[in-house]
Parts: sequence; C-alpha cells; structure tokens
Amino acid sequence: MSGIDVKNLHKTYRMGRVDVPVLRGVDLRVEPGEFVAILGASGSGKSTLLHLIGGLDRPDRDPKGSIVVDKTEVTSLGPLQLDRYRTREVGFVFQFYHLFPELTVLDNVLIAAMIRHGKLGYLRARASLRHKAQSLLDRVGLSHRLTHRPVELSGGERQRVALARSLMNDPPVLLADEPTGNLDRQTGRVVLDMLLDVRERSAGRTMVVVTHDQETAARADRVVRLADGRVAVGG
Amino acid sequence: MAILVPMYQALLTRKYLTSKVMPLLASLAVLLCTTMVLVTWSVMGGFLKTLLASGRVFVGDVTIAWPNTGFAHYEELLKQLQADPAVEAAAPAIEAYGLMGLPDGRTETVKILGIEGSSYDKVTGYFDLLWWHPQTTPLENDVRREDPRLNPDDHELLARTLEQGKTLSRQEPPGGPERAGAVLGIEASGFNRRQPEGYYAPLVRSRRDSSGGEEAVRLFMPANGWITLNILPLDTKGRAIEMVTARLPIANEFKTGLYEFDRRYVLVRLDELQRLLKMNAAKRVARSEGPSDRAFEVQVDPATGEERFAAPDETTLVEEPARVTHMLIRGKGEAAGGDPRREAAKLKIRCEEIYEKFAAKHPGEVPDPGVIFVQTWADINATMIQAVEKETALVLFLFSMISLTAVFLVLAIFWSMVSERTKDVGVLRSLGASRMGVAWLWVRYGMAIGVVGSALGGVAAYLIVLNINPIHEWMGRVTGIQIWDPAVYYFTRIPSEVDPQRAAIVLIAGVLSSTLGALIPAVRAARMDPVRALRFE
Repeated sequence: MSGIDVKNLHKTYRMGRVDVPVLRGVDLRVEPGEFVAILGASGSGKSTLLHLIGGLDRPDRDPKGSIVVDKTEVTSLGPLQLDRYRTREVGFVFQFYHLFPELTVLDNVLIAAMIRHGKLGYLRARASLRHKAQSLLDRVGLSHRLTHRPVELSGGERQRVALARSLMNDPPVLLADEPTGNLDRQTGRVVLDMLLDVRERSAGRTMVVVTHDQETAARADRVVRLADGRVAVGG
Repeated sequence: MAILVPMYQALLTRKYLTSKVMPLLASLAVLLCTTMVLVTWSVMGGFLKTLLASGRVFVGDVTIAWPNTGFAHYEELLKQLQADPAVEAAAPAIEAYGLMGLPDGRTETVKILGIEGSSYDKVTGYFDLLWWHPQTTPLENDVRREDPRLNPDDHELLARTLEQGKTLSRQEPPGGPERAGAVLGIEASGFNRRQPEGYYAPLVRSRRDSSGGEEAVRLFMPANGWITLNILPLDTKGRAIEMVTARLPIANEFKTGLYEFDRRYVLVRLDELQRLLKMNAAKRVARSEGPSDRAFEVQVDPATGEERFAAPDETTLVEEPARVTHMLIRGKGEAAGGDPRREAAKLKIRCEEIYEKFAAKHPGEVPDPGVIFVQTWADINATMIQAVEKETALVLFLFSMISLTAVFLVLAIFWSMVSERTKDVGVLRSLGASRMGVAWLWVRYGMAIGVVGSALGGVAAYLIVLNINPIHEWMGRVTGIQIWDPAVYYFTRIPSEVDPQRAAIVLIAGVLSSTLGALIPAVRAARMDPVRALRFE
C-alpha cells in the first residue's frame, strides 16, 4: 500500500520574463488506500500538484520540498528512475482522455504494458497481457468495442478506455485530473462509479482526484482545498 | 537490434505511417530523390559501360599502329602474334580518311577502314555488326513486326547481302563477277530511317516511270547503291602522291550503336584499299631525295666504249612489300574472366615484346619499337572515357546535392508532424516512455519512411530505366523535343543498366537521408516538457 507524503512543495512557472508561483509550500499527506479529492479555483495549482506527484514535472529546488510515495523520494529520482516510477507506481487519467487516435481501443490499453515490459517482456507475456487488457475493458463495459478507434466512441467511453489504460500496469497510485470534467453529469457519474469500483476491487489503491465537481468530492474519503498555491483545507 | 526496439514504437510507427497525408509526402520526397539519383546513375553508368564496350568495336583489345604510311612485313608480324598464347586473334587493317560521294550528290568526310572480313571478325565480332541479314525474331520493341528484315520475301536478298558484308564485295552486275565493295555505317548514307522501335527502314522515293506515272523506289544501298571514295595516298615517306577516286558498290551496312562510328565509318576490303592507297606489294619507282652527292658521273658507252660525263640516273625501281597501318589484336584474357582494361594492359606489354622481336628482324624497314604506337582500346579512347567518367562523377555529385533537399523536406515534414502529435508525446511520457524512447520513435518513423520511399523509388527507377527509350520517344512525340541527340551523345539509344550494387548504395542513402531528416524533430520531441505537451492545443 502506497501513501503519499508531500512537504513544503513549491512550483514556479516562468511566463516570459515573469516568474509565476503556482504552489507556495504545499504540505499534504494521503494515507495508503485513501481517496482524496482536491478542489480549488482555476489556477490554484491542483493539476500542477497532481503532475508533481506523478513525476511528470519537477518542483522548485529552492526552497526544497519533497514528495515521498511509498518510501520513494520522487523529487530525488533521476530521469530514467522517474520514467520507471511513472510506468509502475502511478496511473494517470486526464480530463481530455488523451487516447491515441490511430490505435484501437485494445491497443490504447495495451500500450501502457508495452512501455512497461519492453519488446521481449511484452512478447513473452503477450497472451496474458492481452487477456488482462480485455478484462479491464470488460470491467469498464467496453468489451464490445475492442477494435474500435477512439473517434468512434462517445466521451464517456473514451474516458473509460483511459481508465482501463491507467490500470493496465496495476499502479498502486491512481491520479485523475478532472476525470468527469469533460462529460455530462450522467456520464460523469458512470465514470465516477467505475473509479470507485476500481478502488473497491483493488483494496489499497490510493487515489488522488482533482475536480471541480462537488459530487465527486462528496464521494471521496477526504477533500483537500487548494487556494493561492497552498492547502487551505484538509491537508 | 529489431527485437530490442520497444513494442510501442513499432506499433505507433506502423499506425502513423498509414495515417494522414504527411508521411505520404515525406515518402514521396524520398521516392523522387532516390529515383532521380538512381536513374541518373544508371543512365550515366550504362553510357560509360556502352562507351567502354564500343571502344573495342573497331580496334579489338590492343592495336599496333603506324598511321598514314603504315608498316611492311605485316604478314610476318601477324603470324608471330597468332602464334602467341596470349593472343586469341589478330587482323591487319588500314585506316585512312577520305571524301565519300553519295548517290544524291552529297559529299561526306569519312574514316575508311580496310579490313579482311574473316580475320577482322575474329578480333572484333564484325559479322555480328552487319545490319542487313535475314531476321526471324523481331526486335524487343517491334511488337508490330515492321522490321523489313523480318519479311520472308526479302530473306534471299538479305542472305546474299549478309554474305556480301562478310566478304566486303558485291556481284556487279548481279550474277556477274565479284567486285570489291564497301560496307557503310548504318547512319552514313542518310538513306536509312531509324524507327522508334529500333529497326531501320530504307528510304522510299517516288520517281516517274516511262509511262508518266509515279513508282516507289526503295533506296536499299546494298542492293544497288554505289559510293565514290576520294582518297589521298601517301608514300613511305608520308608524302602525298595523287588523289585517287574509286567507285565502290555497297555490300552491306553495319551498326555498332555508337553514333560516331555508324555515321562516319566506311569499311573497304583490305586488298582494295591497299591498291588504292598504293600500299600493296609492287615494284615502284624510287626517286632519290635532294641534291645528289654526285654532281656528275662518268658513263661508258657500251657500243663505242667511249667515256663521257653525264647526269647521274636518280630514279630506281624498288620492290616494295605490302603495308598496313594497323594490326588489331584480341587477347584471351577477358574470355578467361579477367577485367577488360587490365587484361588489355597485360596484352599490350606482350604485343610490345613481340613487335620488338619483329622489328629487330627488319632494321630500317619497319618503325622502331620506341616510336610505334602500341595502344590498348582504353588508351585510344582515353580522352572520351575520362570525359564521361568525370561527367558521371559531376552529374552524380550535383544530383546528390539536390537530393540533400530530401533531408530538409523530411525535416520540415517531421517538424510539422511532431508539432501535430505533441499530445501523443505527452501521453507517452505520462505512461513512462523515456526521452530516448520518444526520440527513437521518431527516428524509427523517419527510417520507415525512408525504407518505403527508397523501396518505391527503387522500383520507379527500375521501371524508368527499363523503359527509358520508349519514355524518351514518347516525350519526343508529345513535346517535340529530342533530349537525347545521338550526334551529341554518341549512341543511337539511351544506354542504361541497373547495377544492384549502385542501387543498394542509393537506397541505403535514401534511408539514411530520411533518418537524418527525422533526427532534429526527434530530439525536439524528446526534449518536450510532458506537462506542456499534454496541455498543447
């Protein structure tokens, strides 16, 4: 089980000649298996925090903060270790799904395993990996859409594919950035149900979901509110 | 290597290749450049190869030459050469220049070659060059079988013409005695029209018959054509004697494919040319040169026994052996699989040794070994061969430079593709793909486009090279422009050959160019900030 420990996290973006601080010393503790919803106004740094936890971005060096995920000091990982961390430790779900339009639904899910296992590893475990991808897609209700391309799917279906992809490598931490933000209420609810179902089935998976949606927040174990780059409530 | 390439790259490369127009454009750029270089190299390579082969058409591998005045005792030299194990065959010949008068009144400057048909054939394959002979299978492009040599009605005439060509003589009048004749290059008279299919059709002219009507007359030179040759003989000292005019029946016509030869050469029987040039064996009046060392001499009248002063007799009758200007030699080396140029160079050394021994037997009668010209076919054509070799290198260099545009085209197209797929890069990074992995994806993509473009370019080039003459003729018909002028490029048809080794070099270069073009965009993709890439709109 992976907990997340964020301490004194700062992140500043440079916009032209101006430094724009987005995170100004975030402290956050997410317990192993906990479902935390992060709320906050636009520009409050929610997505940035998620990207930093997921190892997609690096925090400021000064002042030095830290992110520890299951005893791994993410902020001190080298580039290759960070790639490995993203492959094995975290799964991402994005607001705009970010599927590969040329790939089929099944390949969109399998690509995560291809990246993780390399060619030899993938070919060796090909049958079981395909079976796993099909099971995941079955679990999100898309077993009949395996050979379809993303353009042939509805928004909700695409997000379900993205969810299946994020789970393909069995990451202990699931990071979702506005997973229902691009969906209507009813479809969003279905996706949220699936997220919760995933959590229930894999006991101990830690989930951090950035959202504006109160309903999503209401179903989380805990709500953290960010304001002005700091944790205002729930840290 | 391929097995170590991550699976996702193979998958995405395959999918990217088959989507949208961009990869198609990039492949097209590679295809065009590959085709251009390969066609150029094939044509220039074929040109050079044909030139090298044609360089031996009339001279064999090595020639021993003493132009203009020629050298005597050649029969003896011939025997010595024929006895040598390095020599396959040898043939005497005379080369001279003259003016050729044609039946329609035109006069052309020509090179006249005196030969013996059979010995010359052994050295050069002359019989195969004779154009007019009965033909049963049509030429490759003559699908409508319009070649007049295919007409069975003319086969008897053509068989006779072939024999005439071999002996360089014609029965004149028909059925009468054999007369020494001439064999013209197929383009020399201007009475044969080369057809796009590759065959020649004798001109047909109309003339009024006795009843006032018009009748068509085929100007088939070997049947009834004559030429007038004007030649200037030289004596053994190289001095002009007096212009000789001879009227010769045309025995046949030859085609080497080398325009300059087919346009300018006239072959005549060796003995006839020796006679015309006064190079045959004969007793000739020799006049002593310059002032006599004796101002006068004392002569005794045989009748009276009276002595008197008299001018010395300055002319004498001398026995002069027959002469030729050239000895053409064919070696055995190439038949044994050797490189033609190297084998000819070896044969040249052997011929020099043979001539040295021959000259030692006839001191003062034949040119010294130090001054006689012993040359290989490559030496004789060195200027032309070097010019074409240099031209080939230059054209290739220029076209390769132009082909570098493929690198920049691929670079521009890939730059645009990477921009278009920025989000994909972000997603791959979020799934754990490394920078190197992302870069390799694009490099691999560039390589795949290079492989596709080069392979298609290779096929296109092969088809173009294979059909270059029909394409050229079609372009000539449509645009009215004849790009390949035989008078300029020596050959009547565009020579070309697809050399697998060269094709491999060009195709590999095509793949490398495309890969090189993809390299910078690949580095750009690898350096992308994944967060920005994911937010890219």
